[in-house]
Amino acid sequence: MTLIEAIIHYTYFIMAAIMGLLLLRNFFKREKKLGLVYDIVYIYCVIPFLLRVLYIK
Amino acid sequence: MNYSVMDIVIILIAMVIAFVVCSKVLKSTEISMAIAGVVAVIFTAAHGWTNEPVKIIVEGLFTNLDLAMTFFFATLFINIYSSSGAMTAVTRSVVSHVNNKWLLLALMAVLMIIPGAISGAGSVSVFVLGGIVYSIVRFMGLSDKKASAFVFVFAIMGAAAPPVNLWTMLMTAQANMPYVGFELLLIIPIVIAGAFTIIYLGWGSKRTPKEEILATMPETDAKLQGVGGLVRILLPLVALIVMFVLTLVIPFSFPVLGLPLMFVICAVIAIICNPKKMSVKDYYKILTGTMDQAFSLIATVLSIGIMQNAMAASGVKGLIGTAFVLLPFIWIYILILIVGPFAQGAMSYGSAIVIGTPLIFMFNTAGMNTTVVVAAMSLMFPIGDCLPPSRIVGRVTLETTGYEGSYMSFLKQIFLPCLVLGLLALLMLVKPAWFAFLA
Amino acid sequence: MNALKKPMTQKIICIVVALVLTVISGYSFYEQRHYKETVVVSDALTEVQWLSDYVPELKGTFGDTPIFVFDSGVEGGSALICGGTHPYEPATSIAAYVLMENIQVEKGKVFVIPQSSYSATTLGVQGNAYPATVGVTTEWGEVRYKIGERNTNPLDQWPDNFTYINYPSGQSQAYNDLRNLNRCYPGRLDGTFTERVAYAIMEVIRQNNIDISFDYHEASIMYPVVGTYVAHDRAMDIAMMAAMDLSSSEFDMKIEQSPGSLKGFTHREWGDYSDTLAILMETPEPFIDRIVGPMTEELMTTGQDLFLSFAGEKGLTYVPYDLETGWPMETRVGRHLSGCAKAIQYMGMFYPEKELVATWPLYNELVEKGVGAFLHDPSTADPNFVYEV
Repeated sequence: MTLIEAIIHYTYFIMAAIMGLLLLRNFFKREKKLGLVYDIVYIYCVIPFLLRVLYIK
Repeated sequence: MNYSVMDIVIILIAMVIAFVVCSKVLKSTEISMAIAGVVAVIFTAAHGWTNEPVKIIVEGLFTNLDLAMTFFFATLFINIYSSSGAMTAVTRSVVSHVNNKWLLLALMAVLMIIPGAISGAGSVSVFVLGGIVYSIVRFMGLSDKKASAFVFVFAIMGAAAPPVNLWTMLMTAQANMPYVGFELLLIIPIVIAGAFTIIYLGWGSKRTPKEEILATMPETDAKLQGVGGLVRILLPLVALIVMFVLTLVIPFSFPVLGLPLMFVICAVIAIICNPKKMSVKDYYKILTGTMDQAFSLIATVLSIGIMQNAMAASGVKGLIGTAFVLLPFIWIYILILIVGPFAQGAMSYGSAIVIGTPLIFMFNTAGMNTTVVVAAMSLMFPIGDCLPPSRIVGRVTLETTGYEGSYMSFLKQIFLPCLVLGLLALLMLVKPAWFAFLA
Repeated sequence: MNALKKPMTQKIICIVVALVLTVISGYSFYEQRHYKETVVVSDALTEVQWLSDYVPELKGTFGDTPIFVFDSGVEGGSALICGGTHPYEPATSIAAYVLMENIQVEKGKVFVIPQSSYSATTLGVQGNAYPATVGVTTEWGEVRYKIGERNTNPLDQWPDNFTYINYPSGQSQAYNDLRNLNRCYPGRLDGTFTERVAYAIMEVIRQNNIDISFDYHEASIMYPVVGTYVAHDRAMDIAMMAAMDLSSSEFDMKIEQSPGSLKGFTHREWGDYSDTLAILMETPEPFIDRIVGPMTEELMTTGQDLFLSFAGEKGLTYVPYDLETGWPMETRVGRHLSGCAKAIQYMGMFYPEKELVATWPLYNELVEKGVGAFLHDPSTADPNFVYEV
């Protein structure tokens, strides 16, 4: 069980990385919500995923 | 102690102005909430109450990180599941086999409640079944507005229903009360308000003839027909329910998966069950499309986290809580149905902690049955999931159903069912002794 | 100016600003995660153990935390004192440090775990904007102690489930209590990270046959069980006598019996799953009340808050609240130190074979001289007695 829990734990970091990368992709290339305002929203939404994946917070 | 009430009131006013002005000018609720939070943090730093303003802002982004992940992966699962044509197949099957409108509406209501009742989140109900239920109740003759209202009302009832009511759990945790004795106290008002909702929304609607409905829907893929097809259709949904149930029934032999991973597992099963040949590129398109689709919601929950953290740092959270709990009982009764849901709109589950917990202790001091009091408040807070600034479940609902009318028209449609639920809860709060036998 | 209007330039500016925010906040988060508290232990120290000595799986993780043992060498009773079960209640770990820096043991032995939920010391409470540390002033400078979370850090245990079910009772609790050490007892070896920490602390109690165990806490003053001993059934006599004695001699202390229906708590499970006499203690901590003003270090230190004084005037607080007095750190630390000293004293009276004779600063001294008066300068102390936690 401990091993499974550890695998799940690290899977969540991978899932966070996927979300962070998708947000970053959409920051550069997206079809909806264009413009500077949403550039800002996209980029600040990346921050928590980045800090989590870097194992800082 | 280095602040005055006026200091905090000024910050609250500044936050409200920042939110309203930014909403008008920038036309983005998400950034408006973030800016309102930043304004509060600037005031906090200017008063010398913190020397780490940047940390407070960024830390806020973590408050609802798990919720954001749940929303994304739930949407991803449903998009992958829909891409196989399974949603259409389910709708066709239900429409073909059940003829009675009222029976079908009741069935849809119960179905909508189940995912929320198990997961504690109304948005999960909407993500998992909102699309199917919306289509089916539309075929029962409900307008798009009424059908959206149907999805929303039963989603929040799902969140409030046992076995998992997060508001109750958070309040009992704060008050060190055992989470027992809430089942009937939560279910009975939901059944009454639910029955009212079905009648209220379903009254006067006329079911479209079965043949006409089926003619408008795409044919089901041959591989989704028969027993094999049934397995393909149901397996992803059944897997989700099985994981929920195993978590509750054999918690010590079953790993802690968390909602996001549960949805990922279901998405993988949906890919395996998909009869259509889809390339990796197709799935990548779904992945990026899902981010486009869910981004608004993700940004909302992350941004509201900034606001929550800023409200705590600046004392605005304390001001709101103080203003309310210092009121005489009679005013608490009068205002709770407004303050409770709006607190939910502003603070999400934080409403249970900021408003709910002090009230439990107050009612306890007054000798009232706190189990009933907690249940009553736990029925009120979910109503606020349609209210600004966050409007989380309301927005999820409208994004799922594609309702194109104004948000206010949607609010008007759900008002009466929510009021009935709220009034039942208020009665429990005012006269807890009458309901104590249900605890 | 025109360049600024180009989308790519705007995007680059956005990225640069985001990176600056990430680096500034990331540095603070990293500091908080790795910050070490310093303690100069008394010469009565005989051994330093770790939780990983009891549960090796914890070695090298943020669940591992030191256990300081003060053994008189004379046969007698034994006590375990746990600070930092909820690190956002810092008077609990500061009380443990003051005790460790000044303790002398004549009979029996004392085990101290100053930061029981170590992982929870490495972040702040989500959505509450707490400062990272609180300072204590001494004659030789300022010492800073951590203000942590209630729950284990998600970096160590992630994800949460949609509900938490306590082992082995099967009782459902709030989802985030899955990471709350004081809901995870008696714990299990093959459970979650927090359950393993709980199991390790149970093993400390069981393997050392600890006679009496204390779990230090702080509570909001609008919470009924504030300023209270919560005692397991077998510890009720001792706690009752100690509460009466304290109330007549030093400060008001209430007493409650651990409810059988509340599962996962120290006051319930320590007593049910070992032979120890389990007592949880709560001091008043206005900082964690729900209706307080700005989250400042001053509020943590003094406990003075205007909003809370309104609640106090309306009779909504469960301990007296005066804006001028507040609930300062020295009062809260002193309550813990006297609270456990008194219960240990009565244990010796009720069970002479378990008599434990130990001294450390008590409430009146703390209130008179302040916390800083009892902390020692690590730069001038014998390095053999300087530890980082």
